[in-house]
Amino acid sequence: MKKTISSILRHLVLLLLAVVWLIPILWLFVTSFSGYKGINTSHFFPETWTLDNYAQLFFWSDSIVQYNRWFMNTLVIAIFTCLISTILVLMVSYTMSKLRFPGRKQLMSFSIILNMFPGVLSMIAIYFILKTFNLTNSHIGMIIVYSAGAGLGFLICKGFMDTISVSLSEAARLEGASEAKIFFRIIIPLSKPIIVYTVISSFLIPWGDFVFAKLMLNSGIATDWTVAIGLFNMLGKSMIAKYFSVFCAGGVVISVPISILFLIMQKFYVEGITGGSVKG
Amino acid sequence: MKKALSSIGNYFKDFGIAFVKGDVWVKVSAVLMGVGYIARKQVINGIIMFLVEALFAVLCVGYAAPNLAKFGTLGTVQFEQVFDPLTMTSTINDYDNSFLILLNSIIALFLILVFVIFWIANMKAVYRLQVRQENKEHINSFAEDMRALFNEKFHITLLTLPTIGVILMNILPILVLVAVAFTNYDQQHMPPSALFTWVGWSNFKNLFTSSVTVTFGYSFKKVLVWTLEWAVLATFTTYIGGILLAKFINNKKTKLPKMWRTLFIIAIAVPQFVTLLLVRNFFADSGIVNTFCNSIGFTDFLKNVGLVPANLSYIPFLTNPGWAKVMIVIINIWVGIPYQMLIATGVLMNIPEDQIESARIDGANPLQIFIKITMPYMLFVTGPSLITDFVKNINNFNVIYLLTQDVFVTSDQLLANSNAKEVDLLVTWLFRLTNEYYNYKMASVIGIIVFIICAAFTLVTFTRTIKGDKEEEFQ
Repeated sequence: MKKTISSILRHLVLLLLAVVWLIPILWLFVTSFSGYKGINTSHFFPETWTLDNYAQLFFWSDSIVQYNRWFMNTLVIAIFTCLISTILVLMVSYTMSKLRFPGRKQLMSFSIILNMFPGVLSMIAIYFILKTFNLTNSHIGMIIVYSAGAGLGFLICKGFMDTISVSLSEAARLEGASEAKIFFRIIIPLSKPIIVYTVISSFLIPWGDFVFAKLMLNSGIATDWTVAIGLFNMLGKSMIAKYFSVFCAGGVVISVPISILFLIMQKFYVEGITGGSVKG
Repeated sequence: MKKALSSIGNYFKDFGIAFVKGDVWVKVSAVLMGVGYIARKQVINGIIMFLVEALFAVLCVGYAAPNLAKFGTLGTVQFEQVFDPLTMTSTINDYDNSFLILLNSIIALFLILVFVIFWIANMKAVYRLQVRQENKEHINSFAEDMRALFNEKFHITLLTLPTIGVILMNILPILVLVAVAFTNYDQQHMPPSALFTWVGWSNFKNLFTSSVTVTFGYSFKKVLVWTLEWAVLATFTTYIGGILLAKFINNKKTKLPKMWRTLFIIAIAVPQFVTLLLVRNFFADSGIVNTFCNSIGFTDFLKNVGLVPANLSYIPFLTNPGWAKVMIVIINIWVGIPYQMLIATGVLMNIPEDQIESARIDGANPLQIFIKITMPYMLFVTGPSLITDFVKNINNFNVIYLLTQDVFVTSDQLLANSNAKEVDLLVTWLFRLTNEYYNYKMASVIGIIVFIICAAFTLVTFTRTIKGDKEEEFQ
């Protein structure tokens, strides 16, 4: 008897916590169907239900809402970012993990320190450098911002490659395979899980980034924006009364694919943070 | 440290040997870089070296020299526009753009440094060729050299592109940031219409002085204290909370642990800017939470207790300094705990079960087990990431900016004078200084200070990470 009560209590606490964590998400979801455009301050659930907000996102573009464009912009940026980043990360992690050359340790230490330097700090300088090359307000500029320094984030991927037995590449080397061949034919196929992780995590960056996009895409032309900037703009002081529920709809639409990718990725997340030491 | 010094010493010693013991071809190579190769019948290598040298010479004359000549003053010719009423056109003089001079000079200095390293490497390589020839060893043909790039020199091939990216995106910006901190680059000195110049340490002095006109010292102290408070609070609340939640869910008595975990993860799977902007409206002065608190009489209760000023009819969740700070920490707990729970779950599963078992047999209660076994183990494994988290929180731009931008207005005149707010972290302050007030010089100084703080903590983590490096273990 005592056991059941404590068990019920335990699950009630969990339920309560889960509700606390999910209330904002639920609010996002229900408000996206609200017939009232502004913020409903008196009721949690909308009084009138409608699909107009979604229709406005996709079909009724105006000067404020260009959701299709934003989505395409972000998608293009994300695809190129993830391609370039993944290639750079693979190159660096393979070098650091499997090749031995003078200065390797020093280079690795240097990169780890450099990678801990927060990008937010140097963003003004990045902005001016890109402006000099006329790359602000351009998607190429955004792709460069997101992917150029990606090589520094090699640690997780390297940790994975470290676990691939060296005897495999040794055997290939005896058969006369070049280092390049070992890289493409042996290591890359064996690194599939970590490649999936790298692809997804770099693909997610442009969808979640707000700071750099705001700084770089500052022309005020709505068709240039990414989803994050477009949605942020809808909550400006003069807009919020007319666009809040549209913002929610936009938030839901972007969240669905991203949540799925995130859920796929999260099992690698832990290993990444603890640097593989979880293996104990 | 000693090792690093000796390796630097060896680097120059090798170069000295190459220069002293090299024959005439090696010595000529110091001036005409390709000669040493051509003398050993590596014609293509020689031609490439000549081309590199020629390219560098062209760059020096056409790019580096004109910029570096103005580097000392950052330009002297003011922007002028003369309108000619006859032709209805305006002519612009050949003005100096201080920022371009600064940027190009840094790039030029960098290129020169790279060339010097390249030149030293070239000398050594040419000398190595000489030694090989003297010993009658095989000298690679060009095709063999190329093949080496995919074999024993594969690391060079692989690292070239990433290195260029990192230099562009990480190293160059840091150098520019440091340089700008020593100039008077701000709204009154904006290229191209105005020039800016070197001012020495005066921006740093400004940051630490408080006077009637300059309040940066006052603001800096306040913002710094809050930044550190925030970083400590944010890190520990989410860390402890995450462990507790993970333990709670992983407990054998909890049914469907996977489902519970997923519920919490959903909350962080939605992009942060969406949830944060949403939560900010959730807690707005006229928001839904306030309506609710008002209707159940909670607002009046807080007024009676004195937590809410009597002249307000709402709870100033994100508009009053004290309330806003507490709310930001609480909302951050909401954002951060699921992440920490994920990590903690992974780590907790690996705690050696026998230790806990034997402790239980010895009569330890759950609390004792948690404090004496679980926590030390957790700290051992996640210690470095805890410090990384701390550094990340010092720079936690998203949470602060998205929750308070356009919402929080400071009433402290001294803070407002230097464009700071009570809830600002150093990074959000820096961001607003640049994005809204174009005060690049002070922003750069703040950037450097933050960098120093972060670097100090990072080095602590770093020595720990490297020591625990088990990379050879599996190979």
